[in-house]
Amino acid sequence: MSGTGVRGMVRSPFVLIVGAVLTWFIAAFLVWPNINVLIATFFPDGSFSGRAAEKLFSSQRAMKALGNSFLLAVALSITVNVVGVFIVLVTHYFRIKGSRILFLGYASTFIYGGIVLAAGYKFIYGDKGIVTSLMVKVFPGMDPGWFSGFFAVLVVMTFATTTNHMLFVANALKGIDYQTIEAARNLGASTWTILRRIVLPMLKPTLFAVTILSFLTGLGALSAPQVLGGRDFQTITPMILTFTNSPTSRDLAALLAVILGLATILMLAVMSRLEKGGTYFSVSKVSSALQKQDITSPVANAVVHAVAYLLFAVYTLPVVLIVLYSFADGAAIQTGQLAFGSLTLENYQRVLTQPSGLRPFIVSVVYSALAAVIAVGGLLFVARLLQKYKNWVASVFEYLLHIPWILPSALLALGLIISYDHPNPLVGGAVLTGTTVILLIAFVTVKIPFTLRMLKASFASVNSSLEEAAAIMGAKTLYVFRRVLLPLVLPAAAAITALNFNSLLDDYDTAIFLAHPLVQPLGLVIKANTDGAEGVDGVANTFVYTVLLMVITGVTMYLVYGRSSRGKSKKKRLPAVPPAAPVPGPGLPGAPLAGEEAAQTAAPVR
Amino acid sequence: MIRLDNIEVSFGDFTAVPNLDLDVRPGEFFTLLGPSGCGKTTALRTLAGFIQPSKGTVRVDGKDVTRLPSDKRQVGMVFQNYALFPSMSVWENIAFGLRVRKEKPADSDHLVRDIARRVELSDEQLSKNVAELSGGQQQRVAVARALVLRPKILLLDEPLSNLDAKLRHQLRQQLKDLQSEFGITTVYVTHDQDEALAMSDRVAVFNKGVVEQVGTPQEIYDRSATEFVCNFIGDSSQLTPEFVAELNRLSGAGLDTDAKSYLRVEKASLTPAPEGGPAVGLPCTVVSRTYHGLHSRYVVRSHGAHLRLLVKEDGGTHHEPGTETTVYVQPAHVLQYHPDTGAALQQRDQAAVLP
Repeated sequence: MSGTGVRGMVRSPFVLIVGAVLTWFIAAFLVWPNINVLIATFFPDGSFSGRAAEKLFSSQRAMKALGNSFLLAVALSITVNVVGVFIVLVTHYFRIKGSRILFLGYASTFIYGGIVLAAGYKFIYGDKGIVTSLMVKVFPGMDPGWFSGFFAVLVVMTFATTTNHMLFVANALKGIDYQTIEAARNLGASTWTILRRIVLPMLKPTLFAVTILSFLTGLGALSAPQVLGGRDFQTITPMILTFTNSPTSRDLAALLAVILGLATILMLAVMSRLEKGGTYFSVSKVSSALQKQDITSPVANAVVHAVAYLLFAVYTLPVVLIVLYSFADGAAIQTGQLAFGSLTLENYQRVLTQPSGLRPFIVSVVYSALAAVIAVGGLLFVARLLQKYKNWVASVFEYLLHIPWILPSALLALGLIISYDHPNPLVGGAVLTGTTVILLIAFVTVKIPFTLRMLKASFASVNSSLEEAAAIMGAKTLYVFRRVLLPLVLPAAAAITALNFNSLLDDYDTAIFLAHPLVQPLGLVIKANTDGAEGVDGVANTFVYTVLLMVITGVTMYLVYGRSSRGKSKKKRLPAVPPAAPVPGPGLPGAPLAGEEAAQTAAPVR
Repeated sequence: MIRLDNIEVSFGDFTAVPNLDLDVRPGEFFTLLGPSGCGKTTALRTLAGFIQPSKGTVRVDGKDVTRLPSDKRQVGMVFQNYALFPSMSVWENIAFGLRVRKEKPADSDHLVRDIARRVELSDEQLSKNVAELSGGQQQRVAVARALVLRPKILLLDEPLSNLDAKLRHQLRQQLKDLQSEFGITTVYVTHDQDEALAMSDRVAVFNKGVVEQVGTPQEIYDRSATEFVCNFIGDSSQLTPEFVAELNRLSGAGLDTDAKSYLRVEKASLTPAPEGGPAVGLPCTVVSRTYHGLHSRYVVRSHGAHLRLLVKEDGGTHHEPGTETTVYVQPAHVLQYHPDTGAALQQRDQAAVLP
């Protein structure tokens, strides 16, 4: 089948054109910026220098940030697993009263994450927060700044990161063959023994994987330490940001970014190894669906119910309060005392009608929409070619396109800043740093791995005999692509565009490095509001932004995923994104677990 | 019409078809039959032009088409899953190839409706989405789409395998009728021996990429050329050397006791003795009996052999398990194969065999 080889590839003019554009894009925006970071770190004057490392080791602040990041990563790996496994068990494994309601509460992080969640927690529990103000009235001696530092960051990130458990661990749990549990019971095992000896060991590979994802989230944390860490608890990424803004410390920023990148690659390599070696498959020919288990001890049952509902309150309180206070006036927001008679639509009117309120929203919508469309539009061709041609050239392209998945966004952003703060021939001699274009490029870049993987899976799901049937009737490659493949892939492409749009809407991690000072997206404005920059109106605006973001995310998720649970009758709605099929050929490091696409909708707080 | 000469197809280090020679005659319904992974679909796809052979030539009407792309070979193909374009209506599916050829819309419409009528698709069905059709209707759309371009050859890749047994039987005949009506040379791939025997003019039996035998269904069944064909086609019991020796002793037949010997299930009977013919009776013990309505399946033990028998039910004698009786066998019905090569040892004179 020489048609899928390198020779077959270079025979097609279409492939050559797409290949040339792709090579330029990869060189300019994926490879060169990262090489530039290494050069800035180790070869600042053209020859090797260990000065950045010396500066790092002698900087108490930087070393403390490094230590804090690892401390947060380790602590988060533990707390997320404790909370995550518990909520998965009470929603999917044990028979708990009201488990569907509990699920909805725990799943609130699907539509509420990132900087928005960190800001929300600060507005509720921060020193001027609604709950804190009420608590101080009840306990006048208490410290109003109780919710800050390592503790606050850990709590917020723990509750934000359990999304991974809700997706992956819950999925793995549902995949367990119930007959194994029945067999264990038949052999006399108790509920606890079955959980400990049968169920949890089968979840081990997934738990390892989500632990590593949690570790990486902790390591690269940005918005949570910035919003809630205070002066005493800063981590690597905020430090990279600080050093990036000072030209004399950029080498230090670069070295920290490289350390972060290396740690990420190492952890993803470990995860990839675990994924390959440790998945359990049911060996039964006809497996049966998991049935919920009773907790036989009344005391244990009561305790589990109590903890489950307590966690439900923790998850839902910020969401409920934000929705309520988005309708409150300034006085109510300041005092925390909400009278239902004083609820008003003024905040919404201000945000949706006044330029200062609406502008960040429009900026984010435009950036997100453009990036989502460009990423999907461009990668439609690339994904098709990579799915069709299976040779070493295609594999190299595919690996390179996954760079944004294996490197932290801070490293990518820093690379772009360093590479394009002077006229660069790779982009026709233009300067990009400080322009509005560089953030768009970064947004497109960070969406490439997810988009490529989903589109490739989508193309792969089209039966190859359709293409052969068209070819045998004389249709040429482009005609087959346009008339046969594209109509089949287009609905999935629309869904992927929607998910990309969603996940970029409240971006903070990339925008904080690259946004134009006069064209600030929503994430940056929300962060500024948490610092009190815009007073009470700023806080109210943030509540409104949060509600609008939750609505947009919720609607998108319904359109993309809601259909699958409602049968096939409603044809006009967006179809579900195809499952991320395993990438044939190269085993990509850092490849996502099944269900990764859903995680795109609400990034965990970093 | 079609000639595959010395075809070799490899995928990396794996050789799917080592050396294939085949001749298909004009207008013939020719079937490639074999178990999964035997190379039959690879051979068909090589003929279609989807796979380039590493060696050998494919000729159609004497013309070498080995390097021609699939659309230049004048072949139409019906895929196993039909490969109907789900984003198009039935009409659009059938017209796809005509549109690619830039036929005038009016001509296309005429041709589509004509072929649709011949495969029994209504005008109403033409406007439907393919997903709204039943499996059998989808199959007819796939056939119509292949035939509307008037190919010289029709290739069918297990087109009945997705259907239930009843529909499969119905469509077998429809396909055969369509083939006769169009008089088109057809190459059909299946793993179902019933289908192959019922539909084909000739059959090629594949095993591990090699053609074991090419012949009419009757030749393949009655005179299986190799032990593999004998086992793959029909249902046979292996005879022990003791059984064959006893058969020789009683009948004077010169069967080879060292050969691997088989007897088809319907070629033996139990007491009462068949009327006329050179059948020989051997004592046996009934091991089991399964009633199937029109016939019963027996397993009997005789001289170390466990013989499976298919006996017509006529309301007469039943033989219960454990009873001693007699099994009647004609030596000419015994199929014998070389113990090492598996090649048939002799061709029996069928005229001497009872019907």
